[in-house]
Amino acid sequence: MEISATEPATPPSRAVRFSLVAAVLVALLAVVETTVALVAPSRAPTDADWAAAAAAVRAGFHPGDLIVAAPGWADPILRMHLGDLIPPEVAARMDDDRFARVWEVGQRGAHAPAAKGATVAFDERFGRLRVRLLERAAETVTYDFAAHRAEARVSWHDARGSAGGCAPAGERVSCPGVGSILFHPQIVEVDQKLREALLTEPLRTATVAIEFPAVPLGRALVIATGLHDTWMRKAARGTVEARVTVGDQTTVLPVTSDDSGWTRTRIDTSARAGQLAPVRLEISSANPYDRFFAFAAEARRRGAGRSPRAGSTGWSPRRWPWER
Amino acid sequence: MIWLLSVEGRQGIGRDEAQYFRAGERYWGWFSELGDNLEHGHPGRSFTAADIDRYWSDNAPDHPVVMKVLYGLSWRAFHTCHCLGATRGLHPVPIRARHTTLPLFARESTAFRFPAILFAALLVGMVYRFARAWLPRGPSAVAAVLALAQPHFFFHAQISCFDAPIATMAFAVGFAYWKSLRDPRWGIATGLLFGISLGVKHNAWLMPFFLVAHYLWMRRGDWRARRLPRVPLAFVAMLVLGPAIFFAHWPWLWVSPMARARAYVLRHLDHEHYNFEYLGFNFNQPPTTTAMKWVRATAPFVETGLTVPVTTLALAAVGASVLARRRRGAPVDPQSAVSEAAIADRPSWLRPGADVDRAPGAFVLFQTLGPLSVLAVPSTPIFGGVKHFLAAMPYLALLAGLGLPTLGRALREAIPAARARLRLAMPIALGVLVCLPALVETRRSHPDGLGHYNLLAGGFAGGASLGMNRQFWGYSVLPMLPDLDRRVPENRRLYWHDVLSDAISMYKRDGRLSLEVGDTGFGEEGIKRSEIGILFYEKHWAKYEAWFWEAYGTTKPVGVRAREGVPMVTLYQRGVR
Repeated sequence: MEISATEPATPPSRAVRFSLVAAVLVALLAVVETTVALVAPSRAPTDADWAAAAAAVRAGFHPGDLIVAAPGWADPILRMHLGDLIPPEVAARMDDDRFARVWEVGQRGAHAPAAKGATVAFDERFGRLRVRLLERAAETVTYDFAAHRAEARVSWHDARGSAGGCAPAGERVSCPGVGSILFHPQIVEVDQKLREALLTEPLRTATVAIEFPAVPLGRALVIATGLHDTWMRKAARGTVEARVTVGDQTTVLPVTSDDSGWTRTRIDTSARAGQLAPVRLEISSANPYDRFFAFAAEARRRGAGRSPRAGSTGWSPRRWPWER
Repeated sequence: MIWLLSVEGRQGIGRDEAQYFRAGERYWGWFSELGDNLEHGHPGRSFTAADIDRYWSDNAPDHPVVMKVLYGLSWRAFHTCHCLGATRGLHPVPIRARHTTLPLFARESTAFRFPAILFAALLVGMVYRFARAWLPRGPSAVAAVLALAQPHFFFHAQISCFDAPIATMAFAVGFAYWKSLRDPRWGIATGLLFGISLGVKHNAWLMPFFLVAHYLWMRRGDWRARRLPRVPLAFVAMLVLGPAIFFAHWPWLWVSPMARARAYVLRHLDHEHYNFEYLGFNFNQPPTTTAMKWVRATAPFVETGLTVPVTTLALAAVGASVLARRRRGAPVDPQSAVSEAAIADRPSWLRPGADVDRAPGAFVLFQTLGPLSVLAVPSTPIFGGVKHFLAAMPYLALLAGLGLPTLGRALREAIPAARARLRLAMPIALGVLVCLPALVETRRSHPDGLGHYNLLAGGFAGGASLGMNRQFWGYSVLPMLPDLDRRVPENRRLYWHDVLSDAISMYKRDGRLSLEVGDTGFGEEGIKRSEIGILFYEKHWAKYEAWFWEAYGTTKPVGVRAREGVPMVTLYQRGVR
């Protein structure tokens, strides 16, 4: 390298001193960056780490437990090792609130959102992975709306006072005179995440009302809404307005748009806890083109989480459209 | 070039590259037929609209054909011909006889990629040559090394696409323009190179803006004197030779020049916004809210800051300060003998930079920030990530080279004069040291350069945590091919997700995949028909995973291809629970 310089006849100038500091910093940076680049690959968990962590989780797993990866992007590897304990309805859950026991398989110091406020009942490292069992206050689901889709009555009404009922037609419901819309349970994609939900559509000229006539209420009704499908969100910009009526109590939900993601609303039903009440969801849109409105809703009470049902994972084998 | 050639085989074939393989071979078909027609005395048959369209409508109006023709010619000249064997039917043009070739490459895909690699090597050489006008050999060599040793540039440099080649051409045009400021021969060369650039990729449309910006700044004295700057020879040549070469080089245009040129221009002025992840958001259309417009506008700058090796960025910052502090007429490097001072009294359109300081700082500034700024406009598609502004990267490396002598001298002056050897060695050691992280990071990133992020981001894992793009267009399946090939008989009904059938054909032609491996087609129906299938992890593909869960009855993949723990591709198999 041909870098020449004159001999310093006087003490180095401020500029030279500054350059010297910069040179030392750049050199240090180069050493650090090189070292990190060489070392970083070895910080990734190995197959053996995952196998050991999975064995630990299996040993302590109870039906109804939730297993999560932290950071979330490691989820596919988690499922490769423990996917048999994470059925679709858990992988595409509405939220984490109903799980009293959460197994967190973490790496690089990351923690799952579900860990917040939880008590750590188990904490062990397996190479580059850390397995924690988190115990926390959870809610018991008293009524899952998607599971009771068959009980729903769908109708429509418009601003002129016209109204009518809609009849089931496979995965759709037919609303004579105003159209036919989807209404079926599906794993939807909202905000690029998968959710188990009921999928439906707003009508162009009328409000769609979906009523579940006898919902056993708990302390709260939690409803999450969003627009399904990246490509549909790209294709259109219309919004969907929705409101929920529990008995005689009406709550306007946040407007669902392309950018609103998966929005949860919690409605306090503690005054009616233990009662059966109709729950009615009304949706409308001024521009319903390509609006695939997904919602999941659960009536919940405080408790030790959802009661495990049949099967090793604690989840009942729901009959999905593709299994029919 | 040796580095690129030695590793390109580990890098998979993306959707775009697969199409350029096909188009390049088809274009070769036209030349082959032209040869036959010449031999039989009726060359005119090759110039009928039907014949032109039969070959040249492939990948039109998407991209002009300079590079695709080179890819096709390179394949024809350098592949090892097994053309009459079992893969004969996988070629886009009929194979009538065994090809006589100079079989430099075992894989056909390497033969296609060779011109792109040559262009990348040419860029490295040009960066060195350009830097030598301002810098000693050592820092110039460092600039050249840093131009290549960037994970994202390195990724694009070895595939037969257009992004690295257009970066080479942008630098070539800039280089020629710079020289044309004091040498009229380079004015003509600028026009020629610009015309070739127009035939490489549409990014060439932007080149004049950055050059004109510099020219107006350099000649700002004319504005102050209330006279218009003379139009330099370089711009005249670009205006005349550019369109002429563009129309001449692309046979598809000959059939209906204006209508088809218009279709080509409109194709890119109204280009679809493909999906792209940035800071946790999936962009697939222009943002509509002010907040998201601001987020989107930062993309090229943040992506540069998180993908170029940090030491290179730091050195470039020093280089930028060197240029900023330079006084008018002074050399770029204080130790350089080459002055930027005026060498003539009068302006001339032939030597428009002879009577003024050539404003090297403004030149590098516009060439670096120009491509980034265009991509900062929220309505511009960003689906290619760094590849859209690769043209800035050689200038960033040049800036890094410019920063080195200042630091080297400071280190040297800090050492007592009595330690002469150490004084000599210190700048050399610094030069080697600043190249190390770039080289190590680039090596680390391969073959998944798109998913690699620098020290600031935290590598592959840090990029994933930040919600940055990991990959696109299905290239990252290649390391899984041996496993997929072994899964008989399930692989007879294989869902390939984002891998284009042209890429599958090339994997088979390259001998990396058995001919019997199937392809069940696209989307949900493709998954339903399949026994095994792959899924690329990109945000917008999420619903495809749901389709796997539904069709296969499980959320449990049988394999996950990951880089440093970050999932890239998942393999599902029907019935595995």
